Amino acid sequence: MFCYQCEQTYRSETASGCASTKGMCGKDATTSDLQDLLIHGAKGIAQYAKRARALNAPDNEAGGFILYALFTTLTNVNFNATRFTVLLQQTASIRDRVKARYEAAALAAGKVPESLTGPAAWQPAADMEGLLGQAAEVGINAGLEQVGPDIIGLRSLVLYGLKGVCAYAHHAHVLGKESEAVYAGIEDALDFLSSEPTDADALLNQSLALGFLNLSVMELLDAANTGTFGAQQPTQVRVTPIPGKAILVSGHDLGDLAALLEQTRDTGINIYTHGEMLPAHAYPKLKAYPHLAGNYGGAWQDQQKDFADFPGPILMTSNCIIEPQPQYRQRIFTAGPVGWPGVRHISDKNFAPLIQAARALPGFKETAETEKTITIGFGRDAVLGVADQVIDAVKSGAIRHFFLIGGCDGAAPGRNYYTEFAEKAPMDTVVLTLGCNKYRFNQHDFGDIGGIPRLLDMGQCNDTYSAIKVAVALAEAFDCDVNDLPLSLVVSWFEQKAAAVLLTLLALGIRNIRLGPTLPAFLTPNLVQALVDRYGLQPITTAQADIDAALAPKAA
Amino acid sequence: MSTHTIELTTRDGELLRFDCDADQSLLEAAADAHIVLPSQCRQGSCGACYADATRGDYILGEHNPAALPAGAAEKGGILLCRTFPLSDLSVSLPFDHDRILLGEIRRRNADIAAIEPVGENTVRLTLHLAPDDGGSVAEFEPGQFVELEVPGQAIRRAYSLANTGNWEGRLEFLIRLQPGGLFSTWLREQAHAGQTLIVHGPQGAFGLSENGLRPRWFVAGGTGLAPMLSMLRRMAEFQEPHPVRLYFGVNRVEELFCLTELEALKAELPQLQVILCVWKPNQDWQGFCGTPADALAQDLDDLNARPDIYLCGPPALIDAAEAAARSQGVPVEQVFSERFLPA
Repeated sequence: MFCYQCEQTYRSETASGCASTKGMCGKDATTSDLQDLLIHGAKGIAQYAKRARALNAPDNEAGGFILYALFTTLTNVNFNATRFTVLLQQTASIRDRVKARYEAAALAAGKVPESLTGPAAWQPAADMEGLLGQAAEVGINAGLEQVGPDIIGLRSLVLYGLKGVCAYAHHAHVLGKESEAVYAGIEDALDFLSSEPTDADALLNQSLALGFLNLSVMELLDAANTGTFGAQQPTQVRVTPIPGKAILVSGHDLGDLAALLEQTRDTGINIYTHGEMLPAHAYPKLKAYPHLAGNYGGAWQDQQKDFADFPGPILMTSNCIIEPQPQYRQRIFTAGPVGWPGVRHISDKNFAPLIQAARALPGFKETAETEKTITIGFGRDAVLGVADQVIDAVKSGAIRHFFLIGGCDGAAPGRNYYTEFAEKAPMDTVVLTLGCNKYRFNQHDFGDIGGIPRLLDMGQCNDTYSAIKVAVALAEAFDCDVNDLPLSLVVSWFEQKAAAVLLTLLALGIRNIRLGPTLPAFLTPNLVQALVDRYGLQPITTAQADIDAALAPKAA
Repeated sequence: MSTHTIELTTRDGELLRFDCDADQSLLEAAADAHIVLPSQCRQGSCGACYADATRGDYILGEHNPAALPAGAAEKGGILLCRTFPLSDLSVSLPFDHDRILLGEIRRRNADIAAIEPVGENTVRLTLHLAPDDGGSVAEFEPGQFVELEVPGQAIRRAYSLANTGNWEGRLEFLIRLQPGGLFSTWLREQAHAGQTLIVHGPQGAFGLSENGLRPRWFVAGGTGLAPMLSMLRRMAEFQEPHPVRLYFGVNRVEELFCLTELEALKAELPQLQVILCVWKPNQDWQGFCGTPADALAQDLDDLNARPDIYLCGPPALIDAAEAAARSQGVPVEQVFSERFLPA
């Protein structure tokens, strides 16, 4: 295996990347290699799909499959080699269907169909040894000796950004939202990668194209979420449990949560959110369910303790799953793109086994613990609803600056930076949060500025579109560029969704983003320098130094 | 008393370290460090705690030679319950990290729901776990075993589970009634529905290996069928697509059992092929004549296959099947076994 797609990848003074029998995330070499081969197969689908689409013979079902397939390869999503073996067979079958569609469309248009090579011509080997042999030829660092690390790094930037785009598009897709333009953009990017590009400018341009594509995907997802469940509203969420039977839902898939809430209606079973599912409480149509009881536990990296302590079954709807411990291995279920060997998978939203498990497990007992709540739900509508108040506060000097702390959490000690940053932010500044890196500090009391809470949670990383809209609206109100707003972006990244969001921010021309806790291993020193020169991208230093730098008067 | 550092590496590459005094077995020292390693008899008889020492010196104490694969002791094969360190040791474990319990083995009460004869000298014992702080669920991995203890009597025996984890608290075992056996005698003469047993577990590392779609061949001798049934039922429950075969053998036709269950499994798992093997058949027997190891050797040769192979039964069967697998070039890491030995 060779994988360096996430922040926790193995790093030493001489080498970066997980290249042994098991990655830092727990993914074994077989699964990692099969994931590489799946991406290769998806490129093959895209080569034909792009050409079919150009002939007005699109195959959106194949597009949906690509979203799902690439999502399964994100960090901490699917560790099940069996599932990948099956997906590879499906990939070849879908590729053949799209190929036939393309060739028929070409002939109908009086054209000679192209004879495609590379991934388009791949045929899955008959056995595991054969598949692994094929995988060894198509990993992310294939061709390193010929093209050098900068080109491999740029291909990685494109591929990992694309994985994030596909994950977000999949979230929208399962709520019934899809877009021809999005499928076309994804097919273009995969087709581009299948050509084994070596032009650095072309690769950078493709990265930015993906950034823009991701913006439209985030808009699609925003429409899917708010269209299905209403706009997020400021909401008090209970973070202490209620006595009774309980189910915990983690991940990002609001559709799975909604289906489970419906199936557990009037059963007496309480549903708790975990990790990135927290913002669900702010959606009117979800919080209308009285048994959506509260939020439980911390961020994803705490799940082995949180899940072991939880007295009911657990549903993992998307990233991030880490190795289920024996204490809860029998009562964790996966759904959607998620998988773990030996863990029950529910693929049809029939959560009856989960409900049966909840009834058999003890649930929460009576406790003397005092009820605690946190406030969430400051999505676009909520923040813009008080835009006048916010603008007045900025103009009067009551609010000096905004810090958007967004992105993923992780286990690395360096991630304390983000907690420290939030806590040290001066009292005349507002902290906006987005993603799962807020769990280290979102139960602290940050107070308010003239009634405006100092900590405003804008939701999942999936809600980035909302944050961008707020920034753009504020820039319009102040008649300035987003880069001229009293706003600093402090981003923690972990996996490929964050890579996609970063590309979007760069594509929009957002400058001076602080990125940490470490820079991606796939970005070579030359590529980092290029991003610094072009976008002012900066690694984090210390919380205090970065706050001081953000608040320092800008040079004329 | 000298103390040595023991380093364990699981099959999936996880490292565990603990200290072990020279007069402590590795199994005991690991338990002191709250690392409960798969084991069963803890007296060198059963082979459930088999591992490989890859570095260091040690004493392998008194044990049943049949508890180790043939020739393994000369190549570093050890039983954790009978290994005492003379230096720091590195040990390779033949199972994944998730089979190690970081805590204590669970102890629960269960009521006998049914005792039914299923074949000559073989019964199906069904228990229902009593609810406790963890609820009433039966949580275990297919292939694992529990120890059953009769309260108030010095009877405690390990049996593999034949069903899969469930939310009703149901545990199912296939038990051969051994002449003169303590538990067998109790089961035959005293046990009845409604009686309470103490269940220690689940325990054990025997179980399915997730290797993509490599075919799975299960080889069972007698009540060695129990963990195979559990794994096959799990495959049916998960609708796993692997090509799969079961070689199930007994000595005489009259001893065959669970044939109805196997037919039901074939309906749920259409790719399942069942090869019934009788060592000393009567004239009417139409199936395979010989041991399941013989049938395995023949098919490995005929089909030139390299499947994952799961073995459970008496040591002679396991040794013969392992030898067949070796001679046909099946890599050792694709062979998983559990030996049935009198404790």
